[in-house]
Amino acid sequence: MKEITLQMQELARELLQKGEVNVVLGWEKGTFWYLSPPAFVDKPEDVERLVYDDYCHHNLSKYLMDYRYQEGKVAVFLKGCDSRAFNILLEDNQLEREKYVLIGIPCPGMKDQEKAKEFGVNGDIPLAKKCQECKYPNPLVYDYFLGDKKAADEAAATKEAKAKEYSDVEQMEKMTSDEKYDFWSSQYERCIRCYACRNVCPACNCRECIFDQSRTGWIGKANNASENQFFALTRAMHVAGRCIECGECERACPMHIPIMLLNKKLIKDINELFGEYDAGVKVDGVLPLGHFDKNDPEEFM
Amino acid sequence: MAVTVEQVKEINPLVPIKAKVIKIVQETPDVKTFHITTIDDKKPFDPLPGQLGMLSLPAIGEAMFSVTNKGENHIEMAIKSVGQLTEALHEIEEGQEVGIRGPYGNGFPLDYFKGKDILFIGGGIGLAPVRSLIMECVRNRENYGKLSVVYGARSKADLCFKEDLFENWPKVPNMDLYVTIDREEEGWDGHVGFVPAYVEELAFQPQVTVLCGPPVMIKFTLPALQKMGFADQDIITTLEMRMKCGIGKCGRCNIGSCYVCLDGPVFTMEQLKELPPEY
Amino acid sequence: MMKIIAKERLPEVLQLLAKDYNVLVPAKFEGVSRFTPYSADVELALEENVLMPPKDIFFPQTEKMYKFKAKDKSLEIEELPVEKEEQLIFGIRSCDLKSLECLDQVFLTKGYVDHFYKDKRDRTALIALSCLQPQEACFCGSMGVDPQNGVGADIQAYDLKDKIGFKAISAKGQEILEKISGLLAEEEVTIPTFGEFNLKADIEGVPEKLQGMFDHPLWADICRKCLNCGACTYVCPTCHCFDIDSEVRGEDGVKIRCWDTCMFGEYTQMAGGHNPRPTKKERVRNRFMHKLRYFPERYKMLLCTGCGRCVVKCPVNLDITAIIKKIKEAE
Repeated sequence: MKEITLQMQELARELLQKGEVNVVLGWEKGTFWYLSPPAFVDKPEDVERLVYDDYCHHNLSKYLMDYRYQEGKVAVFLKGCDSRAFNILLEDNQLEREKYVLIGIPCPGMKDQEKAKEFGVNGDIPLAKKCQECKYPNPLVYDYFLGDKKAADEAAATKEAKAKEYSDVEQMEKMTSDEKYDFWSSQYERCIRCYACRNVCPACNCRECIFDQSRTGWIGKANNASENQFFALTRAMHVAGRCIECGECERACPMHIPIMLLNKKLIKDINELFGEYDAGVKVDGVLPLGHFDKNDPEEFM
Repeated sequence: MAVTVEQVKEINPLVPIKAKVIKIVQETPDVKTFHITTIDDKKPFDPLPGQLGMLSLPAIGEAMFSVTNKGENHIEMAIKSVGQLTEALHEIEEGQEVGIRGPYGNGFPLDYFKGKDILFIGGGIGLAPVRSLIMECVRNRENYGKLSVVYGARSKADLCFKEDLFENWPKVPNMDLYVTIDREEEGWDGHVGFVPAYVEELAFQPQVTVLCGPPVMIKFTLPALQKMGFADQDIITTLEMRMKCGIGKCGRCNIGSCYVCLDGPVFTMEQLKELPPEY
Repeated sequence: MMKIIAKERLPEVLQLLAKDYNVLVPAKFEGVSRFTPYSADVELALEENVLMPPKDIFFPQTEKMYKFKAKDKSLEIEELPVEKEEQLIFGIRSCDLKSLECLDQVFLTKGYVDHFYKDKRDRTALIALSCLQPQEACFCGSMGVDPQNGVGADIQAYDLKDKIGFKAISAKGQEILEKISGLLAEEEVTIPTFGEFNLKADIEGVPEKLQGMFDHPLWADICRKCLNCGACTYVCPTCHCFDIDSEVRGEDGVKIRCWDTCMFGEYTQMAGGHNPRPTKKERVRNRFMHKLRYFPERYKMLLCTGCGRCVVKCPVNLDITAIIKKIKEAE
């Protein structure tokens, strides 16, 4: 990854120097050794801030929405999940492809920040759960690719055996309806409705979110079981079929709510109902919940 | 007995009292004036000119409005229909019970105005906060110097307080009225043009001025006043921000370290220059 | 000499106090620690400060204010009965005591007293607990807080590793101490030395310097990674913004107030559509200006206690100590 860091800095410098882009979105070291937050570099002399290490969790594609109406091009580094996020934003007509210079980087999986904090810098820190289950560690769309593409593809191929991991969802499915209700009620009881999960999510790209329209009466501002459940369900259903499994919602949640479990349940259901589908892999306008197919199941009609 | 300012502070300041709307005047197609009393026909509170009140239809919402006038037993609020609550208020009829709390904010510095000539400049619904002060000057005419009012709206129909403009105020001694509308229209033989240009054309001598209206009017009137030599401490305006508590606690109406609901809404240009331009 | 008890016998003290008070203690459930009503099966979390600050004890995230009934033209408004129960917080840290000083300024001064806050503040006794060592993100020392001696508590308790020591500060504290004195021994103790802070912030001159920095380009830079979520403000012990809303069922309704955050666009959005803080630049600037400049100007104290919660919980590591540093270094 050190090598890729150097290549990142080199390419960023070149793009900025040549004036091909106004800003490069990457990662830099944060307050603690296990934090590598987003970095926005707009001067060639600042490229040395950029790093690529085990903690570059942040999905940078969402930030591209901030540059939609600005002059000039933007370069962004994309891991596998970030590239799927970019595709979802293209699919949702939020971004114009030509405006962005995409620099793909292979991802060995990011490490669990909570465990890093717990085990310390010399500890044996496992990959984040979302990364253990990742099917697409390499970017699917890019203009440049840093690192060894062949080796990265091979690594991804051997990893795939581990994917399709739904044991936690299956565990939840075994619960009775009452148990499920109790489980999710207690999880969302501690939701503080900070909306970090929404704001970090590339699939949450509405111009005006329903949860910001408190004056319309869809949702009240009160923090209570019923409003929190309404929030939880609406958010989950709204990203269903478009969740690219970057796991950022769960990582961003300050209250440890297992949001990905809910997202994964919907992914599993969609796969079972409409056939195998991975969001953000292709941009073809054929979304499982946004596209009518004569063969779609319709038991409810 | 009306509740005094001190008494209001002793009772829970966030809980409104019940009041009722006894009269509704259609000022313009989208502005109505509401006359409000307590259930036993008293003034809900005794506001200073320029102070604010929190009016609510509790099931729909609560919002801050300037009190445009007070009578012996009532207060008045002129309200433009712009959002959910104000649209609902425009639907109510006389006799409707509402929640009210106040008075809030600093109000106009009456002592500063005493004995001075005053120029009032208003645009559209911007005359609402100014009217409370004009009414004070009219009621206590001997305390103030010459009164000049420049007021403009998009059309004749959009002029607020027509009864004051065309019947009451013309009879007030030593008071000049300059009313203008944006575009020519049939049946209007008064001045046509925008307020800032009219103010410039009228070439007032520097004096205390109270200026309220849409941001674009303020933006272009200020340089005109400055060019005519008006001093910053003599240019007084009122600001509007989204408000919820009205007592300087809930946070959102801050401009720098100032809370508009508590430290405002009345500010001099001198004060505004000290604040960040975030309003 | 100090009154002490062995740490493992602390539940006996809490049990005894629970006879007279609703005792709130730090406890952790599913990865989130907060003050929780004490009962025998609550496991105390005393190693580090709680994630959720004690502000919600005085200023709940959602609080009912009054009831109303609206039918046709009629309206009834009814105040809600006031809780009478005396409560006691055990284990509040110095940084969070400092936050109560800030909240007291907001809710109890400048002409209006917030009855909802005052009522809870008046019937809550505070037993502070000293910190043994700083957590990774703690920087209270930089914000003028002494982690071993809180200000404003009724009793200061000292974490003596295997024991807890108690020192009454107020008359109310003296009274509480007498209630539990039967369980306490008297002993000569040494308060353990407090370790080095990992995180520091040099705040000197920052409020003054910010006076001229409203239009500084630094805000456009700082704001870029901010998600405009409310995590920082909701875990902050001093952030106190609220919204007022109603819950209506047919003719009946309850007016509530609930936490709000200056990070949300809707917060300052006016009915006509105008928004004085339309983008994240203005919102981020307001948040840090409020903490480091506006609040000190209005109330003569910082609106940051160095508790470090926002540093831990910000999903994008928008670290207030780093921002203070940037302000210091800005030209």
